[in-house]
Order: sequence, then structure tokens, then C-alpha cells
Amino acid sequence: MVREAVTMERNAVLTIEAVDKHFPGVQALIDVSMDLRQGEVHAVCGENGAGKSTLMKIISGVYPPDRGSMTLNGEPYTVVNPHDAHSKGIAIIYQESSLFPDLTVLENMFMGHEIMRSILPFESPFKIIDHHAMREKAENVFQRLGMRIDLDAVVSTLGVAAKQMVEIAKALTFDSQILILDEPTAALTSNEVETLFATIRRLRSEGRSMLYISHRLDEVFQIADRVTVLRDGRCINTAQVKDVNRDKLVSWMVGRTLSNLYPKEILEIGDVILEVRGVCQGDLLKNISFKLRRSEILGIAGLAGAGRTELAQAICGLTDPDQAELIINGHKFRVTDYRRTLERGIAYISEDRQAYGLVLPMTLNVNITHKVLKKITNAIGIIDPSQEQKITQTFADKLSIKPSDGDFIVNNLSGGNQQKVSVAKSLAVEPQILILDEPTRGVDVGAKSEIHRIICNLAKEGKSIILISSDLPEILGMCDRVLVMKSGEIVGELSREELSQERVLSMAL
Amino acid sequence: MKRNWTVTQELLLGAILLAIIVFLSLTTNFSTRSGIYSFMLDVSPTVVAAIAVGMVIFTGNIDISVGTISGFVAYTAGALVKAGAPMIIWVPAAITVGTLLAGINGFITIKFRVPSLVATLAMNMVHIGAYATVLPQSGWIENLGPRFTWFGRGRIFNLIPYNFVVMIVVAIVAMFVMKYTRFGRALYAVGGNRQSAIYSGINPDVTVMKVFFVEGFLMGISALLRAMTLNEVMPSVFVGRELFFISAAVVGGISIFGGSGRIIGAVMGAALVYLLSIAMIYYGVQDYYQFALQGIIILGAVFITVTDFGKIRRRLGRESEQRAS
Repeated sequence: MVREAVTMERNAVLTIEAVDKHFPGVQALIDVSMDLRQGEVHAVCGENGAGKSTLMKIISGVYPPDRGSMTLNGEPYTVVNPHDAHSKGIAIIYQESSLFPDLTVLENMFMGHEIMRSILPFESPFKIIDHHAMREKAENVFQRLGMRIDLDAVVSTLGVAAKQMVEIAKALTFDSQILILDEPTAALTSNEVETLFATIRRLRSEGRSMLYISHRLDEVFQIADRVTVLRDGRCINTAQVKDVNRDKLVSWMVGRTLSNLYPKEILEIGDVILEVRGVCQGDLLKNISFKLRRSEILGIAGLAGAGRTELAQAICGLTDPDQAELIINGHKFRVTDYRRTLERGIAYISEDRQAYGLVLPMTLNVNITHKVLKKITNAIGIIDPSQEQKITQTFADKLSIKPSDGDFIVNNLSGGNQQKVSVAKSLAVEPQILILDEPTRGVDVGAKSEIHRIICNLAKEGKSIILISSDLPEILGMCDRVLVMKSGEIVGELSREELSQERVLSMAL
Repeated sequence: MKRNWTVTQELLLGAILLAIIVFLSLTTNFSTRSGIYSFMLDVSPTVVAAIAVGMVIFTGNIDISVGTISGFVAYTAGALVKAGAPMIIWVPAAITVGTLLAGINGFITIKFRVPSLVATLAMNMVHIGAYATVLPQSGWIENLGPRFTWFGRGRIFNLIPYNFVVMIVVAIVAMFVMKYTRFGRALYAVGGNRQSAIYSGINPDVTVMKVFFVEGFLMGISALLRAMTLNEVMPSVFVGRELFFISAAVVGGISIFGGSGRIIGAVMGAALVYLLSIAMIYYGVQDYYQFALQGIIILGAVFITVTDFGKIRRRLGRESEQRAS
């Protein structure tokens, strides 16, 4: 015990102590402590929203912590921005590419820290970029990574895996001792994952340390030495990977007990109203089929990036799937565009209210009647204000939107009420089927349970609902049946009786 | 891959230029000594201006007031010459006026978060208003004499205008800056991916401010090159020139969205736009048609960069991926 503590002390390159981070409406990190040792791959696991990314962003200087301290190589470590972190030897490889698409690989690798040389044959303050030295260093880095790449290729022409390698190579041009990899395999094929793992092992053998963020447990067991589990912003446990198994990690990640907050009523489920057959879209969606019945609430669970939103958008015709066939009420229907799907009674309510759902600077009237303008206009297309008002009032009352004044600007509503406006807008079309994508994300507890009540009422009216949610208790509390998705496939189906958090998670991971 | 493609794009531009020159030489007196001289003389300020505005476009910004800024530069030079100031005074003073006016555009853009399109469009109108109200006689100054025109009308071997030499120097320096300085790299970074630029330790606001100053400096040179060929200055002749300059940059393959393009493109774009306009003059095409045709050429150029090149680029990308795997 004593000896191990001593080794740990000597080897820790980065120590995080009691870090807190608060965002409006959410305590993202609470009293998180962990350490990273030299030459180890340390996995950080947790459900969506457990605080993994926030923690990484604090280490790399995107956000300052509210409280707590960090130590790097025994010295107090403070960081103002990612560039600062880079120059202190900590590099982060983001989920989304941070490269400059129109520049070449070489130009990208040294952006912001170009190698300079004196313009004169001797040292002078007049410096210019030394292309030759940069090329040499870049070639050296790629050689060490065991990669061949055209340094003059423009980044936008590269594939995802190659871009990621460029990001890693960029980190190595800083000679970073610590690399943070945030869900690095999210967009990679299995071959590419193998190449990445080979690279990670190579870097580890050079004595570099890596924080490896992932919710794919298989990868944790393949690549990591130690693992830390975060849940709801707290650090639950840190262990040697060889001392834990899958079930143990899952139980740490779930932890919560399910309270019976949900207004779920068991309804009589009707006939099949929608059948989805063989939806394919590149690597994102692989031959997905399922059925939906009248008055049913069908949950779709899965981790971020599993393809849930992509599935919903493909069904609706919001994206352009390779193949998608629907049978609505026994009639075949080929998905072309959202307008036609909507006419057939399928409405999609996006998780991103701001980008897709609502016109925030406009009034309730405008937003709620947006999709039903035909109903409230006369022959020459002039809007009848009294009709408009009527529709708005109907739905504002039904969903208890507050304030219900039709001239109120949506932007000034609370998050929960905005979400209700988003639902109202889709209900105005009188759809049979509603696809709700993360309907309660970012709304407070009160509004959340109100939205749940609304969903149940809709089911009671005979509408069918597809509920996409990352909130497991919500899925468990609301749904009659749950489909679990993973990497673009449906990996399991659970009836209400079979549902448990552990089961859903272990399928999804 | 695209680097190769860019070369092709520039080769294409070069081929078009050559074709027009050959065509003009065969059918008109373009290739005579005086034809070549006047081409070199007149194209120089346009090239410098296209480089100036091109550098702003690299950062994803634009300056609509480059035309009207030139008017103030020319007026400053003319007024100082008329007042008897020596060249060592009036040249730097005129260029400083250009630098400061563009600096105001940059300042408004970064300080008040006004999109540069709006900020500079507004300044463009302010400038036109100021010509008429602030400048005496709307800035018209005549009979400036050889003290003003000796440089603009000067030539080497009785053929190459001094202006052309200045333009070549400006172009070489600009290319050098883009390739060998951090400032040059930063322009692409800010225009290509602002957030990543910040993460790379580049301050976008400082970069944008700097590029507007540089643009103003170059517009000072451009305006002087044009003004010094004439015996008089008249600011209003510069109104509307911005369209010419911006189209030259865009035709030369500088992406209007920022983040990509090359100085050589701006140079060739300016030459192309200019050659087309003199071709139209040679063939007696009316002014209005010239404008319309110019507009169609810009549309064509943008259409090609936004659609076809994009597609080809993506296809090339997919192939290189397959090759890599």
C-alpha cells in the first residue's frame, strides 16, 4: 500500500484536485479529483452529460474551473486557453476537427507556432517562416507515428481518420507530454480504430500520457491502463483496468435509483400504424427496421453518436438516406422530403430548438402557425389574424404555455416553455406520429415533468410517439417499448417489463 | 490534392489570359508598343487594389469602400502638391490617409461586431457624401503639372511604366508575406476557422485590424498609381471601382467565404478583368453592356468555385482516402 502510494506520487504528471464547474442550470463537475501518471493511458468513462468533456475542456483551458486546483509535473498548473495548454505540453484532440479545411497538412500542423528563422544569415530580430525546417519536423513526426501522408494535401480532401492523425501529429509538433483524446473513435471504422490504437501504444511507449475519453467500454479494456468513471459530474471511482470488468463499470456509471416521477399510464396499444423498413445511410444507419403502434410510446436509447437523431431525420426526409421505406397505415410511402412526410402525419421535434425548431425573435403566433399557414390564409394568401389567434390559443392552452399571449416573443420564454412551443408547432399540423428528439434537454425539473405529462396525454389521444432520449430514467419511466441503438444499428429491443438501466446501458455500450 | 488543383485553376486563368492577349494582338493594335505600354500602365493600380482587398477577403471580411478610399488618397496628394509640398511629404501623407480610412473600417468591424460588409458599405456612402460636402469643389483639383505626374508617366526603356515596376514589387512582397510570415498564415486561419484560430493562439480581432491597415496602405499605393498618370484629381472617378477590385480578387479564385486563395490569383484575376474591359472597348461595346458582362463573369467565377470545384475537390478527397486505406 505504502509503496504504491509512493510510486503514484512520483509518477503523476497531472493531478486534478477538487475541481468544480457550474454552468447556468447545471452543476457540470462537483469535487472531481484524479491523476494521470507518466506513460499511461487513462480512460475516463461516463454516460452522456456525466461531465467528461467539461473536465477535458478545463484541463485544456477552454473553461476556467470555478474551484479546485491542478498540478502539472509538480508545479501548480493554470491555463488560459488551449494554445497556452499546448505550449505547456498538453494537447487536446477534439471530437470535431479543429483543423483549417483549406490549408495543407503542413500548414495546419504549425499554425500559430510556425518555426521561424532569421531572414539574414545570422541571428536577427527579422524572422520569417522556415518551411524547410517545418517540413523536416513534420516528416519526422509522421515517421514516428508510422504514417505516410502527403504533407501538401489540403485537409478538406482527407478522410476523418487521416484528419485525426493530422491532429495527433500537430500535438506532437508541440512535443506534448500529455494528449487528451475526446471520443477519438466516434467516426472511425474498425480498421482505422486499430491504426489509432497502434499509434496510442507507440506514444505510450515513448513515455507520453494520454487521457482517453470514451463511452465505448470495449475500447477501454483494449487500450487503457486505468479508468475513472464520472457520473452526474462526480468522480465515482478510479481503478486499474485489469481489476474491473464490464458489469462493474456499468454499475458505476448507472448508480442512480429510479424514482417514480413519471406520469406514465399503461394504455391499450393499438394496431401497427407505422412500419419502417431498411433505413440505410452510409455508415450512420445500417438497415434499420421497426414498427410503431397506435398510442405507443417507443423509446430510442443509445449513446451520443449512435445514430438516433440521424434515424429520426432520415425517416422524416430531413436528410437524404440511401434507402428508406415507410408503411403508414398500410400504405407504402417513399421518403423524399420533410414536407411530404409531414403531410402524411409524421412530425419531428428537434433537440436543437434554436437551429431547427423555432424562430426565436418572432412571436408565439408566428411560430405555432408556421407549419399550418395554409389553414389560416385565404385564397390569395393573406393571413387571417383571428384564425391565427385561435390556433395559437388552442395549443397554448392545451400545453399550458405561459404566457399564452400570441404576440409574446418566443425568445423571452423559459427553456421549458420554448420546448412546449416547439411541440405546439408540430401538433398544429395534427400529426398521428410525433418524433421527439431529446424533448427535455436543458429544461428545468418542473417543465420536464410537465412535458412528460403532455407526452402521456398525447398517447392517450391515440397519437403514437417516438421518444429519443439520453436520459435513461426518462426512457424507463415513459416508454412502452425501447429500441437500443449502437453505431447505427438497433442492437436490442426491450419491452416495459424487461427494462432496466443496466440492461439498456450494457446494450448501448 | 487541391494544391495541385489550384495550380490547374491558375493555369486555366493563365490560358484564358493568353488567349485573350493573342486574340487582341491579332485583331487589334494591342500588341504595338503603345498598346502594351498603356495596358501595363492601366492594369497596375487594379492589381495592387485586388491584392489589397484580396487580403481582407482571406480573413472572411470584405471592404466595399476601397473605391471611395482611393478618392481621398488622390485628393490628399493633389491638394498637397497644389500647396507646394515636396514628394517626400505628399506620398506618405496620401498613403497614410488610405491606411487610416481602412483602419476605421477595421475598427468598426471588430469593435462593434458589425459585419464588415455592412460597416464598409455604410462607410462607402459616408465617403461619397463627404466628397460633395467636405472637400472644396468636390475635391476636383486641376493643372497639377509634372511635379505630380512625372512618376506616373515615367517609363523604363520607353516601354515599362514605373507604375508597373511598383506593382510587381507590391505583388512580390505580398506573396512573400503570405508565405513567410505569421501574419500571412493568420489571415487564412481567421478566415478558415475562427474558433480554431483562437485555439492556435491567434487573436482574430488583432489580425483583422492589421489586415485592414495593410489593405489601406496598399489602396494608398493603388490610388496614387492611378492618380499620378493624370494632370488632375477627381475623387468621384473612384466611386464604383470597388466592384472592379473585388471581382478581380474573386475571379482570381479567392474564396469570398475566406480561408483560401492566393495572391497570384488576385494578380491574374485583375489582369483578366482588365483585359476583358479593354477588349470590350476595342470592340466598341457600350458601357452598360460592359458592366453586365463583368457581372456575369463574376457570377461564373463564383459558381465554379462554389459548385464544380467543390464537387471535384470532394471526389478527389474520396479517392485519396481510398488510396490511403
